[in-house]
Amino acid sequence: MTDLERLALLPAGLRDVLPPDAAHEAAVVERLIGHLARRGYDRVKTPLIEFEDGLLSGAGAAVTHDTFRLMDPISQRMMGLRADITPQIARVALTRLAGAARPLRLSYAGEVLRVKGSQLRPERALPQVGAELVGAEGPSADAEIVVMAAEALRDAGIAGLTIDVTLPTFVPALCAGLGLGPEERVPLRRALDLKDSAAVAAAGGPAAAILAGLIRATGPAERTLAALGALALPSEAVVERERLAAVVARIRAAAPWLGLTIDPVENRGFEYHTGVAFAIFAAGVRGELGSGGRYIASFGAGGGEPATGVTLYVDTIFALLPAPAAPRRVYVPDGTGADQAAALRGAGWVTVAGLGPVADSRAEARRLGCSHTLIDGAPAPVAPNSRGRAHG
Amino acid sequence: MEVAPAANEPLIMALPKGRILGEALPLLARAGLVPEPAFADEDARQLRFATNIAHLTLIRVRSFDVATFVAFGAAQLGIAGNDVLMEFNYAELYAPLDLGIGRCRLAVAEPEAMVKDDDPSRWSHVRVATKYPEITRRHFAARGVQAECVKLNGALELAPSLGLCGRIVDLVSSGATLRANGLVEVERIAEVSSRLVVNRTALKTRPAEIAGWIERLRAAVDGA
Repeated sequence: MTDLERLALLPAGLRDVLPPDAAHEAAVVERLIGHLARRGYDRVKTPLIEFEDGLLSGAGAAVTHDTFRLMDPISQRMMGLRADITPQIARVALTRLAGAARPLRLSYAGEVLRVKGSQLRPERALPQVGAELVGAEGPSADAEIVVMAAEALRDAGIAGLTIDVTLPTFVPALCAGLGLGPEERVPLRRALDLKDSAAVAAAGGPAAAILAGLIRATGPAERTLAALGALALPSEAVVERERLAAVVARIRAAAPWLGLTIDPVENRGFEYHTGVAFAIFAAGVRGELGSGGRYIASFGAGGGEPATGVTLYVDTIFALLPAPAAPRRVYVPDGTGADQAAALRGAGWVTVAGLGPVADSRAEARRLGCSHTLIDGAPAPVAPNSRGRAHG
Repeated sequence: MEVAPAANEPLIMALPKGRILGEALPLLARAGLVPEPAFADEDARQLRFATNIAHLTLIRVRSFDVATFVAFGAAQLGIAGNDVLMEFNYAELYAPLDLGIGRCRLAVAEPEAMVKDDDPSRWSHVRVATKYPEITRRHFAARGVQAECVKLNGALELAPSLGLCGRIVDLVSSGATLRANGLVEVERIAEVSSRLVVNRTALKTRPAEIAGWIERLRAAVDGA
């Protein structure tokens, strides 16, 4: 390995995004956030880094172990690099926008940084787009977020979308209703995470039969709701079941085209949620395209506000979308009038200016990856370079 | 039970080579899944095998790799022991069904000579040879014991007698291999059996089809 190669090596999970991917990714971000903005979600921008105690309070506690930290030499306090933007939006909503009318609709786009990647997502820097609906309770709010996220993805060009609706509060309510203590819930939680029916039967105690029923009920929404309806549940869990049914009915009505499954025992990745949550999948795509759900937006010691939101994983989404057609690029030889180049740009051309005289403008155009060169005041096509432009 | 046909989308099931395969095939047959004859030939160089179901392909990989293939979505279904699942702890896997085959246990063993003056409750640091460094570390850490793991891929029973380590953590079925090498089982970590494993995304995006296979296999297990 030469010294240059060694210096070019980036830390694990980080990478440079090259042309044309960088522009494509930015276009996807704009498209998604544009969709959110058109539904009244106003964009906010929060810093990449802030004090740790604020960043990790409330819902931020879920990413404590994912957060890079460093010392602020000015205040001598510990700072964290955001591993999730949702807690920052909660902070903004509860502090600077505390007086703004509720429900408060906010959107954001930005990168988050994680200490380590996951198995399916080894990247440590992730571009995200998201929306939060703060100060609203009830199934209409839950459904608004799900439907908006699905439509944003559909409009961006993703086919075969499926939403997996989960209810992280259901199993705790069920356990409480059946008198299972926190000690008994730990092995049960692990067994449920794996949908391991044998281990659930062993660890479930009085809940074993119902939980086995829940695991088997996981699947297409209507089938799951019917199966849930047939189970004899304690009253605590019945309330949760009804919440779920109301949200699912609203999603169905607003987006009949959307694939909908229900997983009443899913908990992984939804630890801080306090109501209906969801993950977004697409046919044939490994991993999630986004996720979200209901939580308490809180900050510091003060009480919180009910909120729901969604985060879209831009890196996965962008990899699914075909690259837009490359714009026509014309080489504008040195000495061409400025208005002529401006007119070309006005007509949709990308202009690449020559910085000095060249012998063969066609060859120079080819060398610079242009499809055309300016000859006698008009763009003339050049034969493509045999190597083509470098595409990441 | 009818399995809803996917829109021509291929379905891949990963099966582990060796021990478990012989028990898995009759079970799969009862569920209505029969591979092409070459599958039973352990010497075949082929890695993918057609079945009586047009869009379903079997692959034969090492038992530890079954979990990896399924977790990453390269296969949608698989059969893996819960020893493998415990070792990797993949968040992208579900294990909805205990197939009740490949039964054995994961245990700590040590040389007979060591057993007589050994008090496991007083261990503070152990050196252990194992195929399962994660499970081993977790198991000992839960008891407050520091475990230094030496990862081996086979012939673990040799390690204590050659001074590589004091103890081993390995699968034990009859205990005959341990006895033949002068080792004694001193602690049981987990009961092991093979599970049907399912890729998380596959279950979400092809729910009727995947659930259909789970039910088919459940019926085959219950009917055994």
